[in-house]
Amino acid sequence: MEGIVTGNSDDRDRSSMSRRRRIAALVPTVLLARRNVSRATARSTLAVVAVVIGVVAVGAIGTGGEAFKQNQVAAYEGFGGTATVHPVVYPEAEDPNRNFSDAEVARMRRAAAGATVIPVVQPFGSLVRTPAGETVVTAQVKGIEDPGTFYETANGSVPENWRRSVIVGSRIAADNDIEPGDQITVVVEDELEGTFPVAAVLRPQGFADPLSADQSVFVPVSRFDDATYDEVIVRVDPSAGSVAGAATAIETEFNSRRRTVSVQQVQQQREQFEQSFETVNQFLIGVGAISLLVAGVTIANTLLMSVIEREGEIGVLRAVGYTRGAVVRMLVAEATILGIIGGVIGVPIALGIGAVINVFLVGDPLAFTRAGLQYVGIGCLFGITTALVAGVYPAWKAANKRPAEAFD
Amino acid sequence: MPVDDRPGDGDGNEATTGTPLISGTNVVKEYQTGGQTIRALKRIDFRIDEADSVAIVGPSGSGKSTLLNLLGLLDVPTSGEIRLRKQDVATLSDSERNRERKQTIGFVFQSYYLIPTLTALENVEMPRMLDRTPKKTRDRATELLERVGLSDRLDHAPDELSGGQKQRVAIARSLINDPELVLADEPTGNLDRDTGDQILDLFEELRAEEGVAVVMVTHDEYVAEAADRVVNLVDGTLRAPDTATRADGGHRDRE
Repeated sequence: MEGIVTGNSDDRDRSSMSRRRRIAALVPTVLLARRNVSRATARSTLAVVAVVIGVVAVGAIGTGGEAFKQNQVAAYEGFGGTATVHPVVYPEAEDPNRNFSDAEVARMRRAAAGATVIPVVQPFGSLVRTPAGETVVTAQVKGIEDPGTFYETANGSVPENWRRSVIVGSRIAADNDIEPGDQITVVVEDELEGTFPVAAVLRPQGFADPLSADQSVFVPVSRFDDATYDEVIVRVDPSAGSVAGAATAIETEFNSRRRTVSVQQVQQQREQFEQSFETVNQFLIGVGAISLLVAGVTIANTLLMSVIEREGEIGVLRAVGYTRGAVVRMLVAEATILGIIGGVIGVPIALGIGAVINVFLVGDPLAFTRAGLQYVGIGCLFGITTALVAGVYPAWKAANKRPAEAFD
Repeated sequence: MPVDDRPGDGDGNEATTGTPLISGTNVVKEYQTGGQTIRALKRIDFRIDEADSVAIVGPSGSGKSTLLNLLGLLDVPTSGEIRLRKQDVATLSDSERNRERKQTIGFVFQSYYLIPTLTALENVEMPRMLDRTPKKTRDRATELLERVGLSDRLDHAPDELSGGQKQRVAIARSLINDPELVLADEPTGNLDRDTGDQILDLFEELRAEEGVAVVMVTHDEYVAEAADRVVNLVDGTLRAPDTATRADGGHRDRE
């Protein structure tokens, strides 16, 4: 506890005191409250710790969640102008494995004029073996005309007239030490079997890629005898136009009588993700906020005990003319001071934890989003408010104690 | 004077003319405790004039604290009337009583009730801390601490002071608003005889020099001897003291 200067020199005292005195006179209630807070150090510290935990919980969950969202949303970058088209299959249909024919793909091209339309074959029963002869169970074999129109390569390049080699996704390549020039075996039941040189390894694409290129081995579509397509990728350069227009055009072309194709835009998936993420994050922040309520209970408890201990003292305050309001203000100020200290300590800790999470998920410690910082602010404000509210009941109780009873 | 106003009191110390500082007529105070009504004060009359020096003596449970709380405007009587000068205190609102108390009455307690986080000087200032007159308050507080002989202890915390020094701080505090009445509840109860004597002397000086009425509540006959007038509070009623304890006319005979 900070005491007033205990020097003997009157002059020095007077100058330093008069300044303190002026400050104290502005907020005498706060002065009294602050001294009182520093009285039961251990108890005040515990109450502050409770607030700190709450503020850190809300702040760190908030900023951490925002960092995670940034990290996840980054995966959608580059797929903004992409949509996928799948055939719609009805249970009563004669062919449950309906695929798109060349003619249908041509219709899509016409409908979505200006868009790049890439048909994809995704055969069942495919198998990939590494140069060492190991089977890569996670690999999906896909037939496509030219993956170079869609993906950039990390290593090697897609040949001009691509017919004899395969192109490998980043994860498959990394997990199995596959490099351009290696020979891998691709088997597709009833369709093809052979050993192909790897022409290129693609760059990592992330989970938002509609084709899951990272997990794929691309084979020239010409290798499949009977070309029907399981899926069509529609792509519009976002700087040139919107994929939504192309998507609508295809739906209009195919779904006028009956819904026969389903078009999904990656952008919509992103929005869905953001929405559901928001819900989860708010739930987590709510859990964090509960810890602040617990902090409030701790403060109320601290103050109740303190008020009981100081009954006589509070009685004296009332006896010497302090109004109920003054006593309430003083005690509420005590609680609020605890909350403010908790906030002042908690905010930097929350920001520190947020920075660490940012480093891991976004790569930049200062990559705080506005929303993330808002959560820290909300946590701090909520902490202070909770403390204030928690102080009201003990304060009211103390102030309404008849001063007379304090002296018996 | 705090005795029954019965005619023929024989006290020889009847109230003088003029408006009393505080007076009570037929004052009754009852408490509800566990469904039972306890009558702490049973129709008592009292009168305290300016610069009066009164000791209320009684065993514990006699209603001393109750009377003190009524005199201090900390409580109102169940029935009967208490007047501060001419004002019936029952007609005052809570905040008006608060203000009157602040302006008129100072308190001194057995356990001092200094605020441990404030220095001696700040404790004396405490009743006026919420008034926006810091300079005036500080000057007056310093003066009062000098007056009670603690000019070298201004910045000491209460736990750095002896019991007697604490009580001096408490007395200085009771005087910060220049009251007309100081109510002292067992002011020497926690002090040894010598220190207690010093405190009693201090009260006497203040009364003589500042014209403050002093009412002490005590169960200690020795303390009561310091007062000009003594009344006994027994079982909720006031009685004129035995002549034996009043043999000296109410003046303490020391040294």
